[in-house]
Parts: sequence; C-alpha cells; structure tokens
Amino acid sequence: MKRIEVKLSLSAVAPLLDIIKTAAGSLAWSLAVALPDFARDGEWRDVWARPLLESQNTGLAQLLGLFDSDFFKTGVIAFDEENATSLLRACAAVRLQVRAQFLTALPDAVMETGAVDPVTLDDGTRKALMCHLFLATMQEVIIRHLGNSILEG
Amino acid sequence: MTTTTPATTPTTTPKEKTGEKTALADSWRVVVLNDPVNLMSYVVLVFRKLFGFDETTARRHMLEVHERGRSVVWRGVREQAEAYAYALHEWHLTAILERNETD
Repeated sequence: MKRIEVKLSLSAVAPLLDIIKTAAGSLAWSLAVALPDFARDGEWRDVWARPLLESQNTGLAQLLGLFDSDFFKTGVIAFDEENATSLLRACAAVRLQVRAQFLTALPDAVMETGAVDPVTLDDGTRKALMCHLFLATMQEVIIRHLGNSILEG
Repeated sequence: MTTTTPATTPTTTPKEKTGEKTALADSWRVVVLNDPVNLMSYVVLVFRKLFGFDETTARRHMLEVHERGRSVVWRGVREQAEAYAYALHEWHLTAILERNETD
C-alpha cells in the first residue's frame, strides 16, 4: 500500500491545531455545505443530513487523529490509500468552516486568488488564514501522491 | 428525448405524446456552483471520480464553475441526479438540481 509521510514543523503547526479543532467541533452537528433546497425539509432532511453528517464526522475524526500524541513526539503525519479520501474531504470541510467562522473579513476574490499580505491582518485572521493554507497544502500533497488511488478506489 | 420523429410521423398518438411529456418531465440537470474555498485540483479530482470525466473534461467543467459561477455536470433522470447531488455534497461541493427545460 502506498504511504506518504510528511514531517511537519511542530512550532509552525501546533498553533493551527486550535483552529482546526474549533472548526471541526462546529461541524459536529452541522454540514460544511448547506443542503440543497429540496433536501432541507422532512423526510429528505433525514435521508440526506444524517448520513452526510456521519460521513463528515468520520473524516473529521480521522483528520484530528493525525495530530495525536505521536505527532507531538515525531512531527510526522501519514497518508495512505485507506485514509486519503476521508482526509481530503475532511480538509475541505474544515477549510469551508474556517472560512465561514474566522475569515469573514476577507472577500471571496481574496480567498480565491490568495492575494493578501498576511502582515496586514490581525493575529486571529492571520492564524486562521495560515490554517486554511496548511489544510490546502495537505490536500495538494494527497492529490499529487494518492490522487490515482482515490480515482481507482 | 423524443419518442417519435415529427418529419416521418405527421400524426402523433396520445400514447406517444404521453411518452414525450414523461421524458421531458424526467430530465434534470446537476449544476455545481462556485465556492471561494475548494481547490481547483480538488474539484477536478471530484469530477473525475464521480462522473468518470477525463482530465480535460473535468478541468473544463471546473473552469466553468470558477469563471461563470456554475457548470452543468450531468443531465438525466431525477433519481440519478439526486444521487449525484448527494455524492457532490459528500465531497463538500455545492450542487443544485434544475429541471431541464431545453432538451
């Protein structure tokens, strides 16, 4: 099985974990993307929301599980063919929540282009943006090295 | 989507009309909407995974979403359209269903 290990700087990543945990906690009972209109009421809501939430929470648990006590000893996180899809999705969910919860001051155009000087941001927004970029980097690593496995899986 | 060809069938039976109407009523579009968060490479991967697009087609739809705010990624019967919308939701992409008025 293909396995990718990434060595991270503890001093750089540890401060971002609070943001990830807070965003993940906010997603415990709500979906990162609102349901389409037709699926928001009654039976539809049960059929869609419950399994989507379960799937989302499974991914979030795997993402948070990367940063366990071993991570704080080694600074290493690992992706493989079994966790790649869940982690990729979980990163997307947390990035959407971080944007909604911590980065509302930044316009959509700035989010899309990344054209912002972090020095001009307040501490909280800068930290959230770094978290957002960190999760994007994780996604890029997974797609680059395990994208084919995800497509074939 | 039609069950008869008007040029060769000058008269249309009630049964044929019903069939045509049902086919149109069952035609739906899955539309993916833009968001300022998800990576282009991620969206391309999701399109390839869910719809079996090749890289070029997936990229074309992704750019359409990015530049025009939306892209029709699938057309067909309602039940399957719902399944695709659900799957897109599982990947945290915003998708809506629209009745296909033009087919």
